[in-house]
Amino acid sequence: MLTSLEPLINGILLGGLYAVIGIGLSMIFGIMKQVNLAHGELMILASYFSLIFIQLLGLHPLLTVFFVFPALFILGYLLQTLLFNRVLGKGMEPYLMISFGLSIILQNALLLLFTPDARSLKTGLIIQTLDVYGLFHVPVIYLVDFAGGVLMIGCLHLFMKRTYLGRAIRASADDLSASKLMGINIKRVYALAMGIAAVTAAMSGVLVGMTFTFYPHSGTQYLIIAFGVVIIGGMGSLPGTFLGGLILGISQLVGAQLIGPGFQLLSGYLILLIVLTIRPQGLLGKR
Amino acid sequence: MASNWIRLIIIILFLIALITLPLWASRYIVSVLLLIYLYMTAASMWNLLAGYSGLISLGQQMFIGIGGYTLAVLSIYYGIPIFLCILLGGVISVILAILISQPIFRMKGVYFAIGTWIIAEALGISFSNWGYVRYGMGLFIQPAYKLSMSFIYYAALILGVGSIVLVYLLLRSNLGLALMAIRDDDIASEVMGVNIFRCKLTCFLISAFVTGLAAGVLYLNTIFIQPFEAFGIGWTVKLLFIVIIGGLGTVEGPILGAVIFVLLQQFLSEYVGFNLIILGAITILTIFFAPRGIIGTFHEKFLLELFPIRRQ
Repeated sequence: MLTSLEPLINGILLGGLYAVIGIGLSMIFGIMKQVNLAHGELMILASYFSLIFIQLLGLHPLLTVFFVFPALFILGYLLQTLLFNRVLGKGMEPYLMISFGLSIILQNALLLLFTPDARSLKTGLIIQTLDVYGLFHVPVIYLVDFAGGVLMIGCLHLFMKRTYLGRAIRASADDLSASKLMGINIKRVYALAMGIAAVTAAMSGVLVGMTFTFYPHSGTQYLIIAFGVVIIGGMGSLPGTFLGGLILGISQLVGAQLIGPGFQLLSGYLILLIVLTIRPQGLLGKR
Repeated sequence: MASNWIRLIIIILFLIALITLPLWASRYIVSVLLLIYLYMTAASMWNLLAGYSGLISLGQQMFIGIGGYTLAVLSIYYGIPIFLCILLGGVISVILAILISQPIFRMKGVYFAIGTWIIAEALGISFSNWGYVRYGMGLFIQPAYKLSMSFIYYAALILGVGSIVLVYLLLRSNLGLALMAIRDDDIASEVMGVNIFRCKLTCFLISAFVTGLAAGVLYLNTIFIQPFEAFGIGWTVKLLFIVIIGGLGTVEGPILGAVIFVLLQQFLSEYVGFNLIILGAITILTIFFAPRGIIGTFHEKFLLELFPIRRQ
C-alpha cells in the first residue's frame, strides 16, 4: 500500500536537486532580467571538472567541490565581464544569442575533449538504498541530492539577506538607477552574481554527475529542467524555485509510475506547459 | 526609376541562371544550392517571427519534425504522391500551430521562446515513444529514392524564391505596416486599431506552413528521419545563426546568411567537432561587432536595399 508513496517521496527528493539546477537561472533572471541559455553547459562542465579531479587526485566526488566551486566562480565572473556585460541594456535578444553561442561552443568543446561516451562520478552511494520501516525504499543518493540542494539554496538565501554583496545584488535587481546613484558598481555586481550562479551550477553538476550518467550534450536536457523549475515557481523567486523543483520532480516520477518510464520527461513537460498557459509568470512570480 | 529597372534585370538574369542550373552545373553544386534554398526558406520564416513580429521562437524544429514525419508516414505507409505529402506536411504544421497558438500567445518574450522549445521537445519524446513511427529508430523514406536530384532542386528553388517573395509582399502589405507599428510602439498601435494578436498569429501560421513545406523537401534529400534529430534544437541553432549573420529583420539577411552557412558547413565538414564551435564563435562576434548582421550593416553604410520594404 505504502509503496505507492515511493514515487512521491523520491519525487520530492529529486525536486531538491532540480531546485538547485534551476536556482542559477532564476537568480540571473531576477537580477539582470536576462536568460542564460548556457547554464546547462556550465553545469555539465562542472561535472567534467569534478571527473578530472577525481581521476587526478582520487578524491570523493563531494570533496571535489572545493576545486570545482572556485573554478566555476572564476569562469562565471570572466564570462560576465568579457561577454555579457558588453550587451547590457540592449534588450533581451543579444544576451539570449550570446549565451546560445556560448552553449554551442562549450558543448562541442566538451565533445572534442571528452568524446561522446557516457560518464559518471562513481561513488558507493549510488547502489545503497534506505529502507524506511520496511514501508518503502529511498535511494541514498537522492537523499544526498536533496541535502545538497537544500544546503545550497539555504546558503544562498542567507548570503543574499545578510552580506553587503547580497544586498547590493538585490538593490540592483530592484532599482538599477537608484543603486547606481548609491555607488554600486553594477557591472562588477553582475559579474559577481554570475560567478555565484556558476557556483550553483557547479553544485548541481557534481550532484547530477553522482546521480545520473552525463554526456557532453546533457546540458540541454538540464537547461530545460532548469527552465521547468523556474517557470513553475516563477522567475527570480527563491522559494518559488524550491517549490518549482518539488512540483517538477513529483510530476516526473508520479507520471513515470502512472503511464510508463518513457514518459518521465514528458509528464514533466506537460505540467510545465499547463503552468505556462494558466499562470505565465509562475506560481510565486510577480508580474 | 532607372535603378529599379537595373535591379529587376539583375534579379531576372540571376533567376534564369538558377533555373537552368541542373543543365550545366555539377551534381555537387546542385546539391549545395538546394541546401541553401531550403535553409534560406526556413531562416526567412524564423526571421519573419523574430525580426518582424518580435516572437523569438526556439521551437521551429517542431514544424521541421512534423513536416518530415508527415512526408515519411504518408509516403511510406499509404503511398500518397510525394507532392501531396509535402503539401500536407505544411497543412498539418499549420494545424499544430493553431492548436498551440492559444496557450503559446499568452507567453511573452523569454517565456514564448522557452514555451515553443518545450513543445518541440515534448513532441520529440512523444514520437520516440510512438510505435507507429518505429520509436526512436527512425524511418527510411524509400519513395524518395526514385526522385531525381533536379526534381528536388526545383522544389527547393520554388520554396526558396517563393518564401522571399512571400515575405517581401507580406511586409509591403497592410500586415507589414501593422507589424512595423507594433514593433515601434505596441500600445500606441493597438490604440490605433491594430489587432496585435491577429497580426502575430498570421505570421506564426505562415511561418509554420512554409517551414513544414521546407522540411518535407529537406527530408526528400536526407531520406532518413529520426525523432531526436528532427525535433532537435539543432535546427533552430542553424536558423538563428543564418539570420544573425545575415541580418535580423532584413529580407536579404536570410539569403546571404544561408549562403554563408551552407558554404561554411561544406568547408568545415572536414574538421568534425570544430565546425559548431566556429559557428558559435562567429555568432558571438557578429553580435558584438555587427549587431545588425552583414546586410543590416551594409544598409546603414550605403543606404542601399535590394528589396526595399518601405513605400516610396
